[in-house]
Amino acid sequence: MKRNSLIPVRAGSGLLVTLIVAAMAFLACFAMAGALGATKLAGAWTDGLSGAATVRIGAEETAPEEHLDIVLDILKSTDGVIDAEPLTEEEVAALLEPWFGATPELSDLPAPVIVAVTIDPLNEPDTAIVQARLDGAAAGAVYDDHGEWRGRAASAARAVRSVAIGAMLVCAIAIAAVVVLSVHSGLSAQHANIATLRLAGAEDRFVSGLYQVRYFWLGLCGGLLGCGLALAAMYGFNAMSTVSRALPALQPPSYWWVMFAGIIVFVIMLCMVSAGLTVSGKLRRGA
Amino acid sequence: MIQFENVGFRYGNGPDVLQGLNFEIPEGEFTFITGSSGAGKSSLLRLLYLDSLPTAGRISLFERDLATLTRDEVAWFRRRIGVVFQDFRLLDHLTAAENVALPLRVSGAREAEYRDNVAEMLHWVGLGEQMNVHPPQLSGGEKQRVAIARAVVASPDIILADEPTGSVDPEMAERIMQLLMEMNRLGKTVVLATHDIDMVSRTGKSRLNLKAGTLTASGDAA
Ligand SMILES: Nc1ncnc2c1ncn2[C@@H]1O[C@H](COP(=O)(O)OP(=O)(O)OP(=O)(O)O)[C@@H](O)[C@H]1O
Ligand SMILES: [Mg+2]
Repeated sequence: MKRNSLIPVRAGSGLLVTLIVAAMAFLACFAMAGALGATKLAGAWTDGLSGAATVRIGAEETAPEEHLDIVLDILKSTDGVIDAEPLTEEEVAALLEPWFGATPELSDLPAPVIVAVTIDPLNEPDTAIVQARLDGAAAGAVYDDHGEWRGRAASAARAVRSVAIGAMLVCAIAIAAVVVLSVHSGLSAQHANIATLRLAGAEDRFVSGLYQVRYFWLGLCGGLLGCGLALAAMYGFNAMSTVSRALPALQPPSYWWVMFAGIIVFVIMLCMVSAGLTVSGKLRRGA
Repeated sequence: MIQFENVGFRYGNGPDVLQGLNFEIPEGEFTFITGSSGAGKSSLLRLLYLDSLPTAGRISLFERDLATLTRDEVAWFRRRIGVVFQDFRLLDHLTAAENVALPLRVSGAREAEYRDNVAEMLHWVGLGEQMNVHPPQLSGGEKQRVAIARAVVASPDIILADEPTGSVDPEMAERIMQLLMEMNRLGKTVVLATHDIDMVSRTGKSRLNLKAGTLTASGDAA
C-alpha cells in the first residue's frame, strides 16, 4: 500500500520556507562567528597584557632612585608578583622615542623610573592593595596593570557579542514568523482535509504532529543549506591570507562544526515548535 | 446509547432545521431515518458524529452529554463512530486504500497492523482492483463504496450512513445493506438515513421519520 502524507504537499510552498530558513541560518552562523571572534579577540588582547604590569615613579620626585628600592621591596614581597625589574635608561628611551624622537641626552630630561613587573596571571595582585602599599611607603609610585585598558577591550567585546546575539535573535524570530505564516496559509488551504481527519477521529496533536514532521524536514534542509554555505564561506575567507593574517582570531576552530550543528538543531526545533503551536492554536480556535 | 432530549438545531442564524426531537436508540439497534429532501436527515446525523452541537436540548451518547466533551474526547468518540457521508468526503490526494485506512491511521495504528484488513474491505466492496486509484478517478458509486469501507474498517460501535446506497446499482445496494445488517448482528448500532421507503419496509427495522425538522412517526416500519 502506498503511504502518502495525510496533508497534501503543495508544490513550491515548502521551497520558499526552506530558502528563507536557509538565509536566516546563514546569517545566524555569521552572527555567532562574530560573537565568538570578538570574545576571542578581546581575550587575545587582554591575555597578552595580563601577565605584565608597570610601576612608574614620577620624575618630579626628588630622589627617584631611593624610592626605587622601597618600591622593589614592596613589589617583591607582594603575593602574585613573580618579578620586578627597573627598566634601563636605554629601554625607557626606546619607550619614549615615538614621542620625543631619539634623545641621546635622556638624563637631561626629567625621565620617570619605570619598573617592569611580571605577575602571575592566575593570581593577579589586587591593584588597589598594591597601590595602597606603595602610597603607604610614600614612594610617589603609580602601579598600572592595564586594568582600565583591559576593561575597555572586554566591554568592546561584550558590545559586539550583544549585537551578534541580537542578530541571532532576529534570525530566530524571522524563522518563527515565516513558519507561522506558512502554516497558517497551509491550514486554510487544507481546511476541508483537516476537517475530514478530525471527523475520522484525529486528535489535535495528531494533526499538529503531521505539520511538525513536515517542518522538521524543511528546518533540516534549510539549516543544512544555510549553515553549509556559511561554513563554506568562512573557510573561503580564511583561505584568503589577507583576512586570516589580519584577524587570526576569526580562524575557524575545530569546534565550529559543533556550533553549526547546534544552529541546525536549534533551527529544526524552532520550525517544529512554531509549526506545532500554530496548528494547535488554530485548531483550538476552530479552524 | 443515543438519546435526544428536546433537541433543536439551526445553522448559524438560519431557521430551525431540527426542532423538539425526543427519541432514544438503544445499543445494537438498526434504525432508519427517513424523510423527504431537506427534512433534516443529514443535519441529524451531523449532530451524531459531533460535527455540531445542538442549539437547543441535549444529546447524550455513550452515556455522556455531548456538550460537556473536551476536544480530545470528541476525537475519541469519533473513533467509535463510523460515518458514510452523503458527499463521501474522501481525501483526493490519497489512494482508495489509504482513504479506507484513514480511521486506523489517525488513531495511531501502524500500516503492518491494518494492511490486510484494508485490502479485505476493499475486495469486499468490489474495489480490489482499484486499491491504488485516487478518488477523482473513481465513479460516484465506487467512491461511495470506498466511503463505506472506511466507515466500517475500524469496527466502530456506531455506524452512521447517509444515503449509503444512493449512487450504486440495486445489486451493490443489496450487498451494502447486507454488510450493514451483518455489522448490526455483530452488535453495532446502525443509523441509516434514506429516501428509500421500500428498503425500510423490506428490512422491517425501526424508523424515525422527519418532516421539516420534526419527528412525525417513530417505531416499526409501516
Ligand atoms: N451547511 C448548511 N448551512 C445552512 N443550511 C444548511 C446546511 N446544510 C443543510 N442546510 C439546510 O438544512 C435543511 C436540512 O438539510 P439536510 O441536509 O439535513 O436535509 P436532508 O434531509 O439530508 O436532505 P437530502 O435528503 O436532500 O440529503 C435544509 O433546509 C438545508 O437547506
Ligand atoms: Mg442529506
